[in-house]
Amino acid sequence: MLSRLGTSAAANTALKRSPKLAVAVRRTFVQPSGAERANVVDVPPSFKNVGHFTPRADMLGFKLDASVHEKSATQKTRPIYLDMQATTPVDPRVLDAMLPYLTDQFGNPHSRTHAYGWEAEQAIEVARQHVAALIGAEAKDIVFTSGATESNNMIIKGVARFNQDKKRHIITVQTEHKCVLDSCRKLSEEGFEITYLPVESNGLVNLEALDAAIRPDTALVSIMLVNNETGVIQPMKDIGAIVRKHRGVYLHTDAAQAVGKIPIDVNEANIDVMSISGHKLYGPKGVGAAYVRRRPRVRLDPILSGGGQERGLRSGTLPTALAVGMGEAARISKLEMARDHARIKQLSERLLSGIHSQVDHVIRNGDPNGYPGCVNLSFAYVEGESLLMALKDIALSSGSACTSASLEPSYVLRALGAAEDMAHSSLRFGIGRFTTEAEVDFVVQNIVRVVQRLRDMSPLWEMVQEGIDINSINWSQH
Amino acid sequence: MSTQPTRNALLGLYGATLRAARSFKSYNFRNYFLQRTRDNFRSLLAETDSDKVSRAYKQAVGELAMLKRSAIVNQLYAGPPLPIEVHGAVKGGV
Repeated sequence: MLSRLGTSAAANTALKRSPKLAVAVRRTFVQPSGAERANVVDVPPSFKNVGHFTPRADMLGFKLDASVHEKSATQKTRPIYLDMQATTPVDPRVLDAMLPYLTDQFGNPHSRTHAYGWEAEQAIEVARQHVAALIGAEAKDIVFTSGATESNNMIIKGVARFNQDKKRHIITVQTEHKCVLDSCRKLSEEGFEITYLPVESNGLVNLEALDAAIRPDTALVSIMLVNNETGVIQPMKDIGAIVRKHRGVYLHTDAAQAVGKIPIDVNEANIDVMSISGHKLYGPKGVGAAYVRRRPRVRLDPILSGGGQERGLRSGTLPTALAVGMGEAARISKLEMARDHARIKQLSERLLSGIHSQVDHVIRNGDPNGYPGCVNLSFAYVEGESLLMALKDIALSSGSACTSASLEPSYVLRALGAAEDMAHSSLRFGIGRFTTEAEVDFVVQNIVRVVQRLRDMSPLWEMVQEGIDINSINWSQH
Repeated sequence: MSTQPTRNALLGLYGATLRAARSFKSYNFRNYFLQRTRDNFRSLLAETDSDKVSRAYKQAVGELAMLKRSAIVNQLYAGPPLPIEVHGAVKGGV
């Protein structure tokens, strides 16, 4: 810091003394600055005590401060992260596997003429094998993309457009992720017909309704495996069996929330195409994968045209480090799945029993047999967003991260048949590999306190306590 | 066929791994790796199949090196602590 001060002050005084010299003598690259421009600046009397530095005029109002980083480490705290459906932290083991490819081994994996390319390509192929092994596929079936959103877009639009001469119908579910629904909306603008299947009140798709919805001109059925808001697990094996009965209909599943968390086998469930995300399984953001079955072959129209990488389905240079990170994340997930799942289940039960034992009128949205790491609770007579505002030490979400900016009630919960007020008062608890018991206890303690407090302020709650049926009130009368 | 590592070697590695896990700055990673190390080594110390033990030992040596590197990176970019880590934690919320 002293040296920085010295140079800036020196430059300043030098400019003041000889303004002409500074303008006239233009330094080139090799010309050293002359000794006459050197200047000795007195050390400020208070320099030993950096904390009490007196500001001077030439500091232009800028303050000398300890770095923001150091300061925040001693004073502030970070909220407890309980939003694992939005994203997960990168596992340190994943980062360790990635770092060589962000530093020394920077080669383009598609370079075939030198060792830099070979080592990158080999690393990617190993990563591909790990991803494939996690879902019971072959390495060649895996296409790396930029994430599950790209995979979903590529698959839904790709399959639909490739078969558009004969098949003009797509089936999906109302509770799908936005990127699936929006891809379908785009296709409907292009003249495709889309069936949005409703779900039952527990979030599961009705299999008979699905069977009835499949038509001879259906190209694709797209049903997500684990719902991102409610954690509902769709019975993929049964769905696969139904779709398999109809020849030429492909089954796509958005497994972004499922891969690495629950066991999946693409052959067992007859899944033809699948979307995987890297950052939901403790990998890096910006990478995902698509499983595209080769036998029987699923053909699709690529969105990106170019150098023909990834079987021509997704052109563009692969991000070696990200793909390696995703592969390592998949490898670790496969190894630790049983352990993680048991632990997450235990923590989830701890959370639920803690909340249920201390707060009334809490409703769990979605099938209770869903993925335990995603618990969606509605706290009646409390507004979800105000609950979130009050819980500033806990990072939670009321629903999907994509819609967390809007105050609209979640369309997923509405599709489950939740009343508008219950959809407004929902919170999603995402428990993951690195969540601890102490964190869950802290969260329970705070939720209980804040819900109690907000309800004490609420006139609705008072009415409920007095036994007035809220639904019988006609609010619009004046 | 390698010879089985001695109990002392295992205990030494166990201690070193615990130390590496403890040096993580992030609360969540530190706790996870501590717990995982305990679980792994307890089952390893109870294991009788010498082949399995030597294989697991070899793997654990590699993991220790990885853990040490990761802990350094984690220390370099550590953020502020979580509220539950701060002594006499201020209650969050309203």
